Amino acid sequence: METHRQGTTLFTGICVLIGLLVVIQLWLVAACLDALRAGETGVLAAAAAASLVILAVNAGLLLYIVAFDARLRHTQRPPRE
Amino acid sequence: MADERPVAGPRARHRHEEDFPIEWERDHYVTRREFAKFLTLGSGLLAAANVLMAIVGRLWRPAAPVAARIGRSADVPPGGSMLFRYPTPEDPCIVLREGTGELRAYSQICTHLSCAVVHRPDRDELFCPCHRGSFSTTEGRPTAGPPTRRLPRIRLEERGGEIFAVGVEA
Repeated sequence: METHRQGTTLFTGICVLIGLLVVIQLWLVAACLDALRAGETGVLAAAAAASLVILAVNAGLLLYIVAFDARLRHTQRPPRE
Repeated sequence: MADERPVAGPRARHRHEEDFPIEWERDHYVTRREFAKFLTLGSGLLAAANVLMAIVGRLWRPAAPVAARIGRSADVPPGGSMLFRYPTPEDPCIVLREGTGELRAYSQICTHLSCAVVHRPDRDELFCPCHRGSFSTTEGRPTAGPPTRRLPRIRLEERGGEIFAVGVEA
C-alpha cells in the first residue's frame, strides 16, 4: 500500500507538471498570434521550437506515467497458482 | 413484447438493464492516465499551432502598397494633422506635422483594441480615448496606457507641394 500511495503522489505531481507546461504553451500561442498580427515574424520560429520541446517533455512524462502504472499493476497482481 | 417487469433482487432493476448493463459511474470516471493523455493531446495541438504560425510568418509576404496622393502640404500646418486612408479605404491613418516642420504619419488604429487615435498638439501625442492610451508623435511608440505595440508608420514623400504615401512600416 505504501508503494500505491507513493504512486498516487507521483502521478498527481506529474499531472500538475504537465498542466503547467500546457499553460506555458497556451501563453506561447497567444504571444505568437500577437507577434504575427504585428508583423514581427522573428520570434515565431523560436516560439515554435520551444513549444515542440515542451511537447517532447509532456510526451516523455506521459510515457513514464504509463510505464510506471503498468509496472505497479504488475507488481500488485496476485501471483498465479 | 419485451418483458419489462422489475427483476427481484437486492437492486430491483428492469430486465433490459440486466441484458444491457451500463455502469454510468464507471463510464464517467476519468483515470489519471486518461487525463494525462488528454493534456498531452492538447499540448500537441498547441505545438502544431505554433509551428503553423511559424510557417505562415515565413511564407506570408503582403503585397507592396502602391504610392497614393493623400493631400497638399499646405493642408497640414505645423502642429496640425489630417486624416486619410492608406493603403486601402479600410485603413484609417493620420498625418501630422511637427513643430520642426517634419511630416509623420501613422495608422490611426490603436494597437490595444483598435479604437481611433486622435492628435493632441498641446501634449504632442497621439491619444486613444477608449482606454486612455497614448503614443509619441516622433516614433509612434506607446508612452502611457494599455497599448504595448507601436503604431504602424506610414512612409511619406513630399513632391511639388503634394504629400504621397509610399509604404507601410510594420
